[in-house]
Amino acid sequence: MDLSRYAALFQTESREHLGSCAQALLEWERDLKATEPVVTVFRGMHTFKGMAAAMGFNHLTELAHRTETLLDVVRSDPGSASRELLDLLFRIVDALEAGVPDAVAGGDGKLDFTPLLDELTNASAASAPTGSWAIPVREDRPAPAAGGGRLVRVVIRSGTAMRGARAMLALRKAEGLGKVNTIRPPASTFEQEDFDGKLSFRFEGRASDASLIAAVQSAGDVASVQVGEETAVEEPGRKVERRRQIRIDLRRLDALMNQVGELVVAKGRLSELASVSDSPDLKAVAARIQRVTSEMHGEIVQARMTPVWQVFDRFPRMVRDLSRQLNKRVAFEVEGEENEMDRAILDEIGDPLIHLLRNAVDHGIESPAERKKRNKPAEGRILLSAMRDRTSVAIRVKDDGQGIDRQKVLAKAVKEGHVPSGTTTLTDDQLLRVLGRPGFSTARAVTDVSGRGVGMDAVLSKVRALGGSVELETAAGEGSTFTMRLPLTLAIVRALLARVGDERYAVPLAGVAETVEFNPVLVASLEGKEAFVLRQELLPTVRLRERLGVIGSRPVGKAPTIILQVGDRRCALVVDALVGQQEIVVEPFDAPKGMLPIFTGATILGDGVPALIVDPAALV
Amino acid sequence: MSHTVLVCDDAIFMRTMISDILAQAGFEVVGEAETGREAVDRYRKLKPDLVTMDIVMPDMGGIDAVREICKEDPDAKILMCSAMGQQALVVEAIQAGAKDFVVKPFQPSRVLEAVQRVLG
Repeated sequence: MDLSRYAALFQTESREHLGSCAQALLEWERDLKATEPVVTVFRGMHTFKGMAAAMGFNHLTELAHRTETLLDVVRSDPGSASRELLDLLFRIVDALEAGVPDAVAGGDGKLDFTPLLDELTNASAASAPTGSWAIPVREDRPAPAAGGGRLVRVVIRSGTAMRGARAMLALRKAEGLGKVNTIRPPASTFEQEDFDGKLSFRFEGRASDASLIAAVQSAGDVASVQVGEETAVEEPGRKVERRRQIRIDLRRLDALMNQVGELVVAKGRLSELASVSDSPDLKAVAARIQRVTSEMHGEIVQARMTPVWQVFDRFPRMVRDLSRQLNKRVAFEVEGEENEMDRAILDEIGDPLIHLLRNAVDHGIESPAERKKRNKPAEGRILLSAMRDRTSVAIRVKDDGQGIDRQKVLAKAVKEGHVPSGTTTLTDDQLLRVLGRPGFSTARAVTDVSGRGVGMDAVLSKVRALGGSVELETAAGEGSTFTMRLPLTLAIVRALLARVGDERYAVPLAGVAETVEFNPVLVASLEGKEAFVLRQELLPTVRLRERLGVIGSRPVGKAPTIILQVGDRRCALVVDALVGQQEIVVEPFDAPKGMLPIFTGATILGDGVPALIVDPAALV
Repeated sequence: MSHTVLVCDDAIFMRTMISDILAQAGFEVVGEAETGREAVDRYRKLKPDLVTMDIVMPDMGGIDAVREICKEDPDAKILMCSAMGQQALVVEAIQAGAKDFVVKPFQPSRVLEAVQRVLG
């Protein structure tokens, strides 16, 4: 059998299993007496061992096997775990993770796990039961507290009324025969009208599978009942959701996306030709191609959508290691990890997030002693969350630390000439802009963690290159929140086309609030700059013609104006004319030196003429 | 011998309809109740094989009546009659001891299925 065919699959699946081990170790570390994480690590290690053995990777197999053996002893006596043991397990998971690519590349024979194996031997001796426990008790059942018993999955027939009530009835029927626990979803969701009719629970009792199934079915409207093995079975819910996917090489999707990009451009050209043609048939075909192309684009974007946990999952470990290294205490929480975004964007936000999280641990959260002095809980909080709306995802890093020292930043900014010398306060926005200056850092010492002065500017430019924006809120003593607002997808966006002089420019619709006529009568002044009055709101005004230095006079009379909005910030962009809307294929670029920093990329319009893409975030 | 039924609902229309459905299927409707309190009283006296219980009734609602009845007779076979949108209440009634439920508008076949399940 040619094993190399399975190598890629082995590699990705191993990463999944070892990842869930690492995740469970973190949970375990929070509560050494918890039993569920032990079972999860054991299960992950066991699965990994089986896969490695199937691939013939003997060194990986041995380490996993020995670890599994130790875990087997530990899980029969969950209280026996020590911090040292957990540290060892963390290092083993790391070693296995690192060893996988080597083994796949043919280097399993060169992997040397001797030190870890020795430690395992010592740890096994230490946790070997003593006294009346002298003979290791091997239990085939998982610890009951982890939700012992048979796993029962029930599906209530769809289309029937009150599936939740039916589910409750099914539970009651099972309760008539024995003990029911670990109900998923929790029974409280049965009261909700949108409950989908799928539930699972663990059943402990003497009743046979057949009588249990019969009892549950007697609740009525039960589409199916499955009774699983007595041993630990995959927990339904999030984990199962995560697996309902097939693997496609990302390059295939990228290639497909590029093709669709070409198609969108060609379609644009076709629509233009059709619009000036007399042929109703051509118009009909163009309209149809238009529809099919947008649907196809939508489907491919959907296929590229990836839940953010794929990136978020590695952060709990990172924050843990970092906070230990810095002697801080941090409770790290993650929210909204099920939200999805384009794989291409997701792949890019890892580094900015690492930077923001490091900053939060290093500069945000105070030392436990310092926190105590300020009447805060000794343990700091960092929340990483993802929230999605129609066109964007907001990814937020929020800490309850000391906040950013405005005065210190201001002093340094004045000294370095980033702001006028008379400036006495900085708004959150200004603060962010100053922090985002290349090379700007106020960190007292350059630490291993952050503060090298290459950071915030990298974050800002990365996010802007992705068509997103960054916002900052900070309050002294209360903490800071960084919000990255990112488009759901790259590559193809709907844009408003505006003309200035002879050139057309594309403005992504995600940044456009509305378009209005510029009325010179309604011009006021805002901090000495021109401002446009729109329904009692003063909007800073940017005249694109002047900003670009276009020669020649602007058309007389009212000029069309695009109201840009990014987050809460708005501004008015005055152009010569609006040309229409079009789907554009975004080609990001590294702007040539000296170019105005208001463009994110370029695109080829339907007629084959290139146009620059305006970055709303750079203007508001 | 046919099964005896106590029908509890504050609307005469509903009581009539449920009684008809059950009578046609060969059940003997031995009593009716308009309030939860009446339902509890009649249950004590009549000891019916089956109770149909409306959820919303004056003077002690259906759920409290279920609780009272089941306190005295945990094996009482009570079928809840509910309307769409009352799922939370039905769940509560089941926790209180109701054995099954039907949802308005009633289809005779669905009602009889539920009755069969309850009488097992």
